[in-house]
Amino acid sequence: MKYDLLIIGGAAAGLTAGLYAARRALKTLVISKDLGGQVSTTPTVENYPGFIEPQGGYDLMERFKKQAEKWGSEFKMAEVASLKKEGEIFKVETSVGEIEARAVILAFGKKSRHLGITNEGEFDGKGISYCVTCDGPLFKDKVTAVVGGGNAAVEAAEILSKIARKVYLIHRGDKFKAEAVNVDRIKDRDNVEFVLNTTVKSAHGDGMLTHVMTQNKDGGEKKLELDGLFVEIGFEVKADFVKDLVETDEQNQIITDPKQQTKTPGLFAAGDLTTNPYKQIVISAGEGCTAALAAYEYLEQGTASLDWSSGAT
Amino acid sequence: MKKITVYSTPTCVYCTQLKNYLQENKVEFEAIDLSQNMEEGQKLIAKTGQMGVPQTSIQELDENGEVKKEDFVIGFNVEQINSLLGIS
Repeated sequence: MKYDLLIIGGAAAGLTAGLYAARRALKTLVISKDLGGQVSTTPTVENYPGFIEPQGGYDLMERFKKQAEKWGSEFKMAEVASLKKEGEIFKVETSVGEIEARAVILAFGKKSRHLGITNEGEFDGKGISYCVTCDGPLFKDKVTAVVGGGNAAVEAAEILSKIARKVYLIHRGDKFKAEAVNVDRIKDRDNVEFVLNTTVKSAHGDGMLTHVMTQNKDGGEKKLELDGLFVEIGFEVKADFVKDLVETDEQNQIITDPKQQTKTPGLFAAGDLTTNPYKQIVISAGEGCTAALAAYEYLEQGTASLDWSSGAT
Repeated sequence: MKKITVYSTPTCVYCTQLKNYLQENKVEFEAIDLSQNMEEGQKLIAKTGQMGVPQTSIQELDENGEVKKEDFVIGFNVEQINSLLGIS
C-alpha cells in the first residue's frame, strides 16, 4: 500500500489532517486503532466552536471522519508496529501489512497512564480497569476503589458511587486537584471513603483481583479488599516506536517547529502528543490542519517519490 | 454458520465502536447490555475471567444449531475480529 501521506491516529488532529490533505489531492490514509481517541470517551463536548448544543464526543469524531472521507481521505482501523525512514520514504509495519508513504503525521494522542506496579498487567480486565464508563456497570454492589486526584478520578468515583457498594478514592496527596464542585458532590455520600496520602503498592488475587496493598506517606502498609480498581492518574504519550526519529520533552511529548515538523524531514506531529500546553479538541484540529498543509508543502518541494506502478491500491 | 454476541454497557464507547464496525461490515450480531442483565454478566465473567467490556463471543454452529466452537474477543480488538470473522 502506497500513499502520499500516512496519518497515524484517528481523532481530532489526525482526521482534520486527513481532511486538509485530501482537499490538496494527496493520496491520504488515516490509520488508527479506534475512532476518536480520548474525545470518544467524553460524554459531551460543549466547547467545540460552531456547535452550540452539546455534542457527544464520539458523534463529533464521527463527523470529523465523514468529512475527511467525503474529500477522499481513506480510514483504516489497524495498529502500527514500527516506523522507519529509508532514504526519502517512510516504511510502516502495520497489522494490515506494510505501508509506504512520502510523509507521515503522528497524531495518536495520549493513553491512560498505568500505575506501574507489579502484577498490574495480570489483573488488567480482571479487576483493574482504566475505563469507568466502560466497565463500571459490571461492578454493581461490589467493593471498588479509584486511584487518582484529578477531575477524572473524582468523576469516576461519582459514577461508581451509584453502582458499587463501596468506593474508596485513593489519592497520594492530601488535597484533590479536582475542582471543588466535583469533590463536594461525592464527599458526603455514604458509600464513598477518601483514602488520602496513600499510594497503591501491589495488586493481588487468584485469577481475579481480591485485594491491593496500600502505603500511606508515613510508611504504613494496609491491605484493602477490593473487587475492582479503577486507575485514573492521567495520560501519557506512548511514542517509543518513533523515539529515534523525534525529539521529546521530559513528559515524552513530541517537539515540533511551528509547522508541526519533527526533527525528521517529512515526519510531522499534531494533537495531544505534542508539547502544546493546552489539550483541547480545537487545538488538536488546528495542529492537524497545520501539519497537513506543511506536509503538502514538503511534498511539493521535496524529492520523496514512490514507484506507484507496483502495489498502489 | 456463526453466531455472534456482543456483551456491552451503554456508556462504553469502545462497545459502540465495535457494534458500528460490525454493522459497517454487515455482520449480524446479538447485543447484550450487561448493565441490565448482570446474570449474563456473571456467566460471561465465569467463562472468560474478564471483568471488562466489550467482549464478543463468536460461536460456530453445526447444522443442528449445536455449538462446535466458541471464541471470545476481549475489547475492541479489530485485528482479532477481522481474523475470526474473515473481514479484510
